[in-house]
Amino acid sequence: MTGASSLATAERVARIPARPRTWPRTLGVVGVLAVLTALTATPALGGVEIDLGAIAKNWTNGADRIAQMLTPDLSVLPRTWQPLLETLQMAVVGAAISAALAIPLSMWAARPTNPRTPTRMAVRFVLNMIRAVPDLVYATILVAMVGVGALPGVITLVLFDVGIVVKLVSEAIDSADSAYMEAGRAAGGTQTQINRLTALPQTWPAYVSQVLYSLELNVRISAILGLVGAGGIGRLIDEMRGFYRYDALSTIVLEILIVVVFIELASNILRKRLR
Amino acid sequence: MSETITGSEAGGVAPPASGPWPIELDDVTVRYPNGVVALKNVSLSIAAGEMVAVVGLSGSGKSTMIRTVNGLVQPTGGRVTVGPHAVSELRGRALREARGDIGMIFQAFNLADRASVFHNALVGRFAHMPTWRTMLGLASAEDRDMVMRSLDSVGMLEKVWHRAGALSGGQKQRVAIARALSQEPAVMLADEPVASLDPPTAHAVMADLEDINASRGLTVLVNLHLMDLARQYTTRMIGLRAGEVVFDGPAATATDADFEAIYGRPVQARDRLGE
Amino acid sequence: MTALAVRAPIAPPRPRRLAVRIASWTVAAVVVGAFVGLDIEWDKLADLPGDLVHYGSLMFSDPDWSMLPEALRQTWRSVSMAWLGALLGVVLSTMLGIPAAEGVGPLWLRLPLRGLFAIIRAVPEVVIAIIILTVTGLTPFTGALALAIGGIGTHAKWTYETVESAPGGAVEAVRAGGGGLLATIRWGLWPVISPELASLALYRFEINVRTSAILGLIGVGGIGDMLTTYTQHRQWDTVGVLIIVVIVVTMTIDAVSGAIRRRIMEGAKVRGVDRSS
Ligand SMILES: Nc1ncnc2c1ncn2[C@@H]1O[C@H](COP(=O)(O)OP(=O)(O)OP(=O)(O)O)[C@@H](O)[C@H]1O
Ligand SMILES: [Mg+2]
Repeated sequence: MTGASSLATAERVARIPARPRTWPRTLGVVGVLAVLTALTATPALGGVEIDLGAIAKNWTNGADRIAQMLTPDLSVLPRTWQPLLETLQMAVVGAAISAALAIPLSMWAARPTNPRTPTRMAVRFVLNMIRAVPDLVYATILVAMVGVGALPGVITLVLFDVGIVVKLVSEAIDSADSAYMEAGRAAGGTQTQINRLTALPQTWPAYVSQVLYSLELNVRISAILGLVGAGGIGRLIDEMRGFYRYDALSTIVLEILIVVVFIELASNILRKRLR
Repeated sequence: MSETITGSEAGGVAPPASGPWPIELDDVTVRYPNGVVALKNVSLSIAAGEMVAVVGLSGSGKSTMIRTVNGLVQPTGGRVTVGPHAVSELRGRALREARGDIGMIFQAFNLADRASVFHNALVGRFAHMPTWRTMLGLASAEDRDMVMRSLDSVGMLEKVWHRAGALSGGQKQRVAIARALSQEPAVMLADEPVASLDPPTAHAVMADLEDINASRGLTVLVNLHLMDLARQYTTRMIGLRAGEVVFDGPAATATDADFEAIYGRPVQARDRLGE
Repeated sequence: MTALAVRAPIAPPRPRRLAVRIASWTVAAVVVGAFVGLDIEWDKLADLPGDLVHYGSLMFSDPDWSMLPEALRQTWRSVSMAWLGALLGVVLSTMLGIPAAEGVGPLWLRLPLRGLFAIIRAVPEVVIAIIILTVTGLTPFTGALALAIGGIGTHAKWTYETVESAPGGAVEAVRAGGGGLLATIRWGLWPVISPELASLALYRFEINVRTSAILGLIGVGGIGDMLTTYTQHRQWDTVGVLIIVVIVVTMTIDAVSGAIRRRIMEGAKVRGVDRSS
């Protein structure tokens, strides 16, 4: 170091590396974003027509609705208990079934816990396919297949939850340090043994946290599942919407809010304790 | 029991290894898929019960060599034999059984931080445990005793139910040693076991290894950065440089000229680890 | 087996934490209660494989490919809704989310903002769309706005969580250098969090692609609209085409967006290493 500090200043300045040019890349990124935005906002190409005039003209309609919603009609409450309970039960059952399925599937979908590329790719491909179908599409088709009720709703939730929990947990396994695997391998363990005894506890926090997250999402999704006849409080939302009962609608939304906030608080506490 | 038994008992449970084993490297070459030749025609013969150090610069191939001994790296040429096992020819279950008889200690400990000390040490029983037992998380009384005795022998018994992540570096390495001892191995490998530790702890861990060699009579092969430790704790030293053996003899007789042959430069004060 | 002759040392007893036990039993009880309480004829599940085969063959054995052009047109419309919704939603969420982070905005600002996000999270997109359509009608624009506003709930939350989990060193360095709030955000925070935020923004787009299909339920257009209509009319050969289109388009978008996100995050990692050296 002493040698370096005695160098002449001019010589040192000459050794400052040139600043890498980042603006061409930035410009490229901004350009792509701008072109995509322009394309999607062109009605002639089938894109979205951005109609700011309508907002200027009709914003009072929306304000009226919101005003109506700000005075919730609590008289609808007694009618909501049963469907709300059903929504919660569906959310819990969906999360529980998918949680059980997600343990082996996440292990199969992550590289450290499943070094065999063909099976890993197969599991990932099937899961990507499951995730590619929107939840309401499952619900709509399942209702057509097995009939109106909670069953199509629960199946929808399971499919949806398995998709996200496995994706997020397997990504967590992929990105976590997995040097402990090598110790298991050096001790002559099979991949299954290593996964069960070491990878599982290592993954536990990510897993629990994602299952709780899926429970939270379930409550929100099952709120709309009823719109297509798949059970839960969505049925009531659909009914109130049909009668333009926005004040009753906001009561239901409030209920969902309370439940979601409660679940969120509970999961935050659990997540903190798990660290 | 004769040394030729390498097959399994009913239920895929390997019997404990009997007595220390010799290690034989015969013209071993390792070329990684990226073209790096990490070992060039290395031939070595280590007698049963010997304690041998491997020294060399970073990148000289120490880790590669020690990994060929338990098949974590498969040589692209030559033969590796450990006791009755022709390690370089084994695959799948036979390789796992051979590994079960070879303990290994890592520089970074390779513990599952979130699992308990007990479960980390139980990893050492993998090769002796049927998979269904591991799946249920049930250790047999025998496995349990073995683990407790290993932990006791490195002074980590009180911490048995602590999380591995909550231990100090020296304690972690002790748990890792207990994990390897739980295997009841015939050979102990250690890849820079003290490079992450402060000098007093490093000496304590080296003393543990010395004790394992002396009292249990295990063959010990240990990678070290510093020649000092090799001189102090081992009887034989192998110097590696760029994948070739450039020194092989009693550690005490290594001269400064030998140092230069291994490290490519004269010995300096900072090459010594403080007491 | 000689090893067994040596008596095993006395190990400390395994601690059994009461709180953990109570928690596990509670969870178990809730799950069992939900299973029992739910009015489901589980035996119907036995028919499901048969149904799947039956309807699967109706949908995919002879799909009505003449519907493909229309399906692609509607898909583009959905993707447009998703893109514009993501763009607007991410801009709003970033502006609202950063001040809502601990250590950035003051408490009197943080609390109401977080409350707002929580409320939006609880309102299903469909309900938001119902309100918006009284202003902009049953148009894709309504869909884009609903996605943007509905997205704020979760996206702003992710934004402030990202900010809070950012390593504090950079922020402190700028603070220590005497920077104000804006300077802190621009030079201390932004370089650290922008890769993660960019990655989240792309993820928001992926989510919107799926959600835009849901908005089809109330008739704002797009592939979801088409899917609901044809499913309700039980025109399975068309539904088959639509499902294939949805899966292919969604998986393609996910793959491309995922690859970009990985590159962004890897770039961030490399830069992280540079900083430390
Ligand atoms: N998995 C691998 N793939 C490709 N090349 C590798 C791999 N592992 C090691 N190498 C290369 O092989 C050579 C020997 O590496 P090795 O890890 O055996 O050295 P080492 O002596 O253990 O070094 P250190 O003291 O840093 O641990 C190095 O050039 C290294 O870059
Ligand atoms: Mg090494």
